[in-house]
Amino acid sequence: MAEKEQIKLVLVGDGGVGKTTFVQRHLTGEFEPRYIPTLGVSVHPLIFYTNFGKIHFNVWDTAGQEKFGGLRDGYYIQGNCAIIMFDVTSRISYKNVPNWHSDLTRVCENIPIVLCGNKVDVKDRKVKPSQIVFHRRYNLSYYDVSAKSNYNFEKPFVWLTSKLLGNKAVTLVQQPTLKLPETVLDSNLMSLYEKEVADAAALPLPEDNDDL
Amino acid sequence: MSEVEKKEEETTTTTTVEKTEEKKEETSSFAPAAEIKEYAADVEPNVEYEATLKRDVVEVKTNEENEDTLFEIRAKLYRFDTDPSPQWKERGTGNVRFLEDKDSKRIRVVMRRDKTLKVCLNHHISPALSLGEMTGSDKSWVWKCPKDFSDEEKPEGVEELFAIRFATPENAGLFKTEFQKCQAKNEAIEKKTE
Repeated sequence: MAEKEQIKLVLVGDGGVGKTTFVQRHLTGEFEPRYIPTLGVSVHPLIFYTNFGKIHFNVWDTAGQEKFGGLRDGYYIQGNCAIIMFDVTSRISYKNVPNWHSDLTRVCENIPIVLCGNKVDVKDRKVKPSQIVFHRRYNLSYYDVSAKSNYNFEKPFVWLTSKLLGNKAVTLVQQPTLKLPETVLDSNLMSLYEKEVADAAALPLPEDNDDL
Repeated sequence: MSEVEKKEEETTTTTTVEKTEEKKEETSSFAPAAEIKEYAADVEPNVEYEATLKRDVVEVKTNEENEDTLFEIRAKLYRFDTDPSPQWKERGTGNVRFLEDKDSKRIRVVMRRDKTLKVCLNHHISPALSLGEMTGSDKSWVWKCPKDFSDEEKPEGVEELFAIRFATPENAGLFKTEFQKCQAKNEAIEKKTE
């Protein structure tokens, strides 16, 4: 019964820093390079399996651009935890972190918050490690992350889970697999798909990062 | 600078820095050497919060306890999407395994994503499936899967078109060889069951 609990995680930060891309990476595994501004808020369930069982976050992915902000502070109400994201290739997005933190903590008092610097896969970061100091003042957690290379991309959720559980040692474990039904595929059915497969096979796979 | 570094160390309770293992791209002899990636240290302050969740340690069963791993190899999986336009999209990177049930002897393919360990591939290695070649790639295969059972929210299965890429053409060849061996085994089981 306890596993039915759902955690509201508020995700904030300037437009274009990669909030939605980060969430999408977790949800489907895909990396979306295009920037499509979020309008208002998008709420996504993000589930992890841990040594403390199934953990269900509802991630409130908020608009980063002011003109698409919608209810703004209203999205933060009853947040259990938060991620503030900036882009290490954009100095202004780091400079705006205090504003996001202020807006957030005005509504959510004393919740665990992670500061994330995204896009650390790029060669020429503008916000250097030594310049990232805001988190120390307010005891926020900090992680360099990359939604593209998946560097550190699970760690914010592990840390937040450990805080919500009361400083327990949390590790991610393998998600269970569904048992397969005893069905048998028909060879004639498969021949119907031949053209679809051939058309898809003619399209190239995305950029090969040689990451295997 | 060393003064600042010392200060940083003092205020950090737990710090870990992962070594970058990424392969460096070749650069033109006239361009400066690729800048080494500079990662900021993880910072995890030892701060107490009200424990919102009440949980004890539990064992999460994977439903693979009754299966043997016949084959395992590292790969990158893609799914074909037609929205907003026909294209391949990443589904996960990790180890793909062929699992044989100890009782029924049927074999399925299972893959989980690195780090999050979420399932991104789960279906029988049916003899009716066919691994096709990708145009212009000698280290990838493509196949239609009428029912994939990766998504625990969709126990009825999802129709998918998958592509899988390996580090080398040799690994791709090995995967196909082992896949076809498993198909032969499953075919024998299906015939026996008829």
